[in-house]
Amino acid sequence: MSSAAIRLERVSKRFDGRVVAVDDVSLEIAAGEFFALLGPSGCGKTTTLRMIAGFERPDSGRIHVGGADITDVAVHRRDMGMVFQSYALFPHRTVTENVAFGLRMRELPKPEIARRVEAALAQVALTGLEARRPAQLSGGQQQRVALARALVIEPRVLLCDEPLGALDRKLRQQMQFELKELQRRLGVTLVFVTHDQEEALAMSDRIAVMDRGRIEQVGTPAEIYGRPRTRFVADFIGEINFLESEPGAAPRALRPERVRLAPPGEGRVAGAIETANFLGGSTLYRVRGDDGRLLLARETHAGDRAPRDPGQRVGLVWSDEDAVTLER
Amino acid sequence: MSAARNRTPFDAGRAVYLAVNALLVAFLLAPIAVILVFALNPTPYISFPPVGVTWRWFDKFFSGADFMNALWLSLWIAACVLVLSILIGGASALALARGNLPGRAWLTAFFMSPLMLPAILTGLALFQSYLLAGLGRPVWGLIIGHTLVAVPYVIRTTLAVLHNFDRRIEEAAAVLGAGPIRVFFEVTLPLIRPGVFAGGVFAFIVSFDQFPVSLFLVQPNGETLPVVLFNYMKFDLDGAIAAASTVSILMALSVVLILEKLIGLKAYVKL
Repeated sequence: MSSAAIRLERVSKRFDGRVVAVDDVSLEIAAGEFFALLGPSGCGKTTTLRMIAGFERPDSGRIHVGGADITDVAVHRRDMGMVFQSYALFPHRTVTENVAFGLRMRELPKPEIARRVEAALAQVALTGLEARRPAQLSGGQQQRVALARALVIEPRVLLCDEPLGALDRKLRQQMQFELKELQRRLGVTLVFVTHDQEEALAMSDRIAVMDRGRIEQVGTPAEIYGRPRTRFVADFIGEINFLESEPGAAPRALRPERVRLAPPGEGRVAGAIETANFLGGSTLYRVRGDDGRLLLARETHAGDRAPRDPGQRVGLVWSDEDAVTLER
Repeated sequence: MSAARNRTPFDAGRAVYLAVNALLVAFLLAPIAVILVFALNPTPYISFPPVGVTWRWFDKFFSGADFMNALWLSLWIAACVLVLSILIGGASALALARGNLPGRAWLTAFFMSPLMLPAILTGLALFQSYLLAGLGRPVWGLIIGHTLVAVPYVIRTTLAVLHNFDRRIEEAAAVLGAGPIRVFFEVTLPLIRPGVFAGGVFAFIVSFDQFPVSLFLVQPNGETLPVVLFNYMKFDLDGAIAAASTVSILMALSVVLILEKLIGLKAYVKL
């Protein structure tokens, strides 16, 4: 399967009577990359994806795929695969007919269509359900049909709009692994829209964090988590402490796992544990300092040690190089 | 707790609910039963209780040339109205739901207005218009009159389906390589078909039963069944009327059942 790079060049989109949905966005997505557009609802991530797919036309800016400018190419000529949050399966067609649709539109010979549909269904472990209608499938199975239908045309680019959003937690995690494995095996460029930061961190090669139509930061999951550039990114991804700084100085932030709980009297802040959120492998403590401020500290459990009790007095220790300086 | 409730032998709320429903159904069906009783009763006037069973009124109906001509004309007109109102109503509903038309609410109200207007006014208005235009009373004029009254039914049922339509399904087809025309025939049309045909069934029945509009627009020798029955009733009130009504009801019922079998109105109503 060939894959294509995507380039967005100063793309903007405004809907009638509303604020700017996408504001001057430029992006480079490499061929074969697993790329996430991450942000809260209304941040412009879905509109960006829909412009790549061709459902929306940018007001300004250009979109290139595989080196060619496709800004003015109609949706049905873009050769892309797309998985929708609601799956958007054809309810009046069987699983086989759903998956065969794209091949039929390409007017391929019937035997080839049959062969490729069979292979695609095997790839997503749906063999045996060929004659069912979407309404007769579980959510996870519908998800796989949507995936097979998008992949069977061997698209250069696979676009996914919150494809796992409708699944329950366990299934969702399983599909995260499967989708990533499938993408790696096929080598297809995959652009993935999600509001779930854990999902984005877990699956992506790179992430673009968006807010109010703009891109806040682009980077690998480790960069985004470890070196957030802005207050928004730091706050949106995982938990974070914002440290006090002198007026006029750049804000600084510190991940809770960089804060060590020490006996009272040690460290920079003395206080008491207010709440303890036991998370299995670790516990997230909210500590109220004697000066009134709240700080988060994460402690990994060695062995079967029980979490500390609320009310316990502690000192908080961290080193300055673990704090991240934010641009704004 | 819920298991205990399930075991409760008598649920008063449910009993009342079923009783009210049974009463409603009885209220709706009782007149039809009465018609059937009259149609089979041998007395030459409508009376109760029945004194026997006879087929003579059905014989009279089926052997009467006036009745038969009117029945075929009505069926033929209703078939034309079915086709026309499906085409016009379906297309109008699509335009109203999808067209981004200015003043959409007004347009919808305009298209629905034949439902608000007493049909007898529609008939009178058409009659005068045809007269002014010097057209006389052609059969196609009658078909247009019926279609005018029937189209809102198709628009309404089609709009209901379009209202719940997930447009992502059309987008999915487009991204898979279907151009706008193929999207329409492969996805949109099959999915709105149940709504369109449900409206078509109404349209057929509205036309087949149509009296007020027909009253003004029929030719003296080309009268539809309801008009013939009305004229017959002015002089004779015997079982032939009841037999004709029974046949009409069966006709309408079979159209509904045939369409249901052919198109499967229920097959994918859940979109």
